[in-house]
Amino acid sequence: MNLKNSTSQTQYEEEINVSTNSGLPPKVAALSPTEWLKANLFSNAFNSVLTVLSTAAILLIIRGLLSFIFNPLRQWSATATNMRLLMTQAYPEHQYARIWVSLGFLLFLTGVSLAFWRAGRRVQLSQVGKRLLAIGAFILLATLLAPFSSKATIIWLIVGAFIVGLGLLLKPAHEDKTISSLTLLSGAFLLAILSLWVVPYGHHSYLSTRTPKILAEPGTVAMTTKLPWTIMFLVAVCSYFLGAFIREKIDETRSKAVLSVTWLISPLFLLFLVLRDPDFDTGHLFSTDIPIFLFFSIVGSVLLLWLTRPDVGEKGRVISAAILFVGFATFLFQMLMIVRILTLVLAFFALAAPTFSGQKPARIRYAKVWIGSMVILCWLITAINTPSTAKVPGDFFIGGFAITLMIFFFTMVLAFPLGVLLALARTSKFPIFRMISTTFIEFIRGVPLITILIFFSVMVPLFLPDGMDLTEIAAVTIAFIIFEAAYLAENVRGGLQSVTRGQHEAAEAVGMTNSQKTFFIVLPQALRVAIPPMVGQIIATFKETGLLAIIGIFDFLYIARSVIPGQTEYMGSTRENLLFVSLVYLVICFAMSKASQRVEKRVGLGER
Amino acid sequence: MTSKFVKLLAVALTIGVVAAACGSDEEEAPAAAPATTAAAAQVEMVADGSLLDTVQARGTLHCGVSGSAVAFSETQADGSVTGFDADYCRAVAAAVLGDANAVKFTALTASERFTAVQSGDVDVLIRNTTWTQSRDTDVGMDFGPTTYYDGQQLMGRASDGFTANSGAADLEGAVVCTNAGTTTEKNVSEYAALAGVNITLKTFETSDEYWQGFIDGACDISTTDGSALVGRKVKQQPADEEWVIFPATPISKEPLGPTYGQNDSKWADAVNWTVYATIIADEYGVNQSNVAAGSSYEGELQRLLGGDGELQTTMGLSADAFHQVIKQVGNYSDIYNRNLNPVGLYREGSANAGWKDGGLIYAPPAR
Repeated sequence: MNLKNSTSQTQYEEEINVSTNSGLPPKVAALSPTEWLKANLFSNAFNSVLTVLSTAAILLIIRGLLSFIFNPLRQWSATATNMRLLMTQAYPEHQYARIWVSLGFLLFLTGVSLAFWRAGRRVQLSQVGKRLLAIGAFILLATLLAPFSSKATIIWLIVGAFIVGLGLLLKPAHEDKTISSLTLLSGAFLLAILSLWVVPYGHHSYLSTRTPKILAEPGTVAMTTKLPWTIMFLVAVCSYFLGAFIREKIDETRSKAVLSVTWLISPLFLLFLVLRDPDFDTGHLFSTDIPIFLFFSIVGSVLLLWLTRPDVGEKGRVISAAILFVGFATFLFQMLMIVRILTLVLAFFALAAPTFSGQKPARIRYAKVWIGSMVILCWLITAINTPSTAKVPGDFFIGGFAITLMIFFFTMVLAFPLGVLLALARTSKFPIFRMISTTFIEFIRGVPLITILIFFSVMVPLFLPDGMDLTEIAAVTIAFIIFEAAYLAENVRGGLQSVTRGQHEAAEAVGMTNSQKTFFIVLPQALRVAIPPMVGQIIATFKETGLLAIIGIFDFLYIARSVIPGQTEYMGSTRENLLFVSLVYLVICFAMSKASQRVEKRVGLGER
Repeated sequence: MTSKFVKLLAVALTIGVVAAACGSDEEEAPAAAPATTAAAAQVEMVADGSLLDTVQARGTLHCGVSGSAVAFSETQADGSVTGFDADYCRAVAAAVLGDANAVKFTALTASERFTAVQSGDVDVLIRNTTWTQSRDTDVGMDFGPTTYYDGQQLMGRASDGFTANSGAADLEGAVVCTNAGTTTEKNVSEYAALAGVNITLKTFETSDEYWQGFIDGACDISTTDGSALVGRKVKQQPADEEWVIFPATPISKEPLGPTYGQNDSKWADAVNWTVYATIIADEYGVNQSNVAAGSSYEGELQRLLGGDGELQTTMGLSADAFHQVIKQVGNYSDIYNRNLNPVGLYREGSANAGWKDGGLIYAPPAR
């Protein structure tokens, strides 16, 4: 209620701002509480009834939720003991350092990126005070409603009163006094991490000795939990200051580009090098993988340098087509998969070469990109084909929340370019592209996601020829990619249609080629318009990963819903686990939605 | 210029990842070996031979389990798989590979399980799967010896007047809850229809959900396999209530055991005789803690647990294969008691007692 009140109050203030309509933002005379109540909640009889009814409903809901959560019958130890299972499924405990290193690296990137993009804005202290007041009041109210023991009630009342007091202290602060939102955020995290060291949350663990047993004892959190999290926090904070420090010293545009690329490729390396801990066969590496890499890099570079010459003409196209033909032909013969893939990729680069033809620096850059993609490709193919030393039961070396995140990441990174391509194809002038794209999109959109998932998980393994083996995770990731690409394509197409005819004509008038027009004039404007529906789609995708539970992949939801209640110790703990899972989903989706609002503001959506 | 570079790299990366996903096709196929012709020959040989040779060449048993069935195959908090079914997977691995830990467990849903066997994802399916005529014939499975004789029963509250001697006639007007889309639903409808009583059937997606319904009082009766009923009664019966299981004779037969693809006798023999070995050892009282080298026994035990081991070597196993099973995993009683006693299931007096004690657990002789 309090939160709701504070938001409606800001709306109210904005309305007054609009109505006064002077040059400077006008100062609004604060309403007294009685006036405010009258204006907002009890302005007429109908509104008064609504206010009373909805207040009663909200109070009842809060009370119901609290008495559910704090009922002594709840087996919260089911969630606490199985936290590892929920997060990573069976990842071996003695290799947990790998997970922390990966997380630490991502947090380091986050910190540096926040500094480089100057994220965070100034927040008025008085606004912070108002929020704290609302939060404190809510805690006080919830404590009075909750069926706590008298000791717990007193503790929570003190906490609530402290926050209210802090709010009251900050509220009258002058509006010039501001604080960075990042400082606030890290302060909140600092408090949470400090509480791990101080508050006796209890210690839950599963001991897999000869007779497995579950340990749940009071006391502070285990050192294996609180120490890494503290380090993670320090890494994030330090990397932010590091980023802010070096930001001034170097070329900012270039380092932003480097950061973006690092963001894009680091998950691949973290996943396959750090987390999977591949057991490389040195002999095979030097006898086969590295020679193949060198051959394709050198021959490919020479070929591409020649193909990108402006005067190469029809000969280039013929040769590119020949390479493509050879690439397809390799599938008819016994050959290493890596050779087939690299030949096909070379054909793609050769076909695209005329678009990037030009002066010497441009041609050298194209060759560099070729070598860069060779590095990534050869690395990936080698890493995937190398057995993992992380010995786990099941198909894949991680599960739980980690697999939910992984599938979400790969889906978004790969579905986005595919979706843009589909949208361009659908609006293309060539009927064959248009037909293929329209058929694909309409077919995928006409079939429920769960059907596609079941098809890929149950049917596709039966269609594969002998000796070919697509892991279930790879199969369902492909299913997700094609499904989300079809929807993203429609969002992008909506954006494309918002670009007026005049923009196309202007681009043509200055002599741009079709691809220049598309990539430099049309797409940037279209994508800007498509941000809100695309973010909606991204959030939906994150939640749709929960469908993996139905096909029995050990994702976050499946573990909570079926696996933990299947343990002898924790029969009947579905509701506790589901509540925890829904809280995690809620926090992440809310954060994504907030972040997208910031992006929309940054690109000026809805203003121009 | 830099941004163009980034875009180019992003596009290249995208293609790379897609291509690499195709590359993962060969992740576990032996064809990933450098000499492709030799690898192809190997694949052909395995395709003609028995699964037993494939498993021994691979060095790991792929075993399909449920992963979320109380006491039969549970996934523990550290991700390890335990339970009655899981132990039989380990027993097969001990017999075939000599190492009970050389198992890769694959958790399968009820709808995926047979596909997983047919597509070769798992070598053997030990996932509380009932042996039925259609599965044995039409679905293309072969079934090993039954390791657990289960049967569907019902559970009600003593306060509602149900006793261990209650029958179908007492169900008039009762709300009966069970899993959606399983045979238990059909069985209880048939049972009620035969007795001519009217029941209201309520089905839920997961078993935990209908148990919640039963505990909250939304259901008068809850029905599923007897083993699960006992487990729930032991673990979840509130102090002030008494739950009773009836009728004494289950309303359906649910023989559970290992399952594998049909027409592979060599593999079938290896799995079946692993199960028989645990039963025969139990008959002689040879268990995990007192098992000795095979040569120290006489007669059947000597033939089974080692000695010259001719019986084992002719079926493609090592001479001490079953000695390893008993040593590393245990005999039938060891496996049963370790996993099923904690949920209140005991062999004495049940269908799962040995044939000498009036039960159904029986093995052909080893000679």
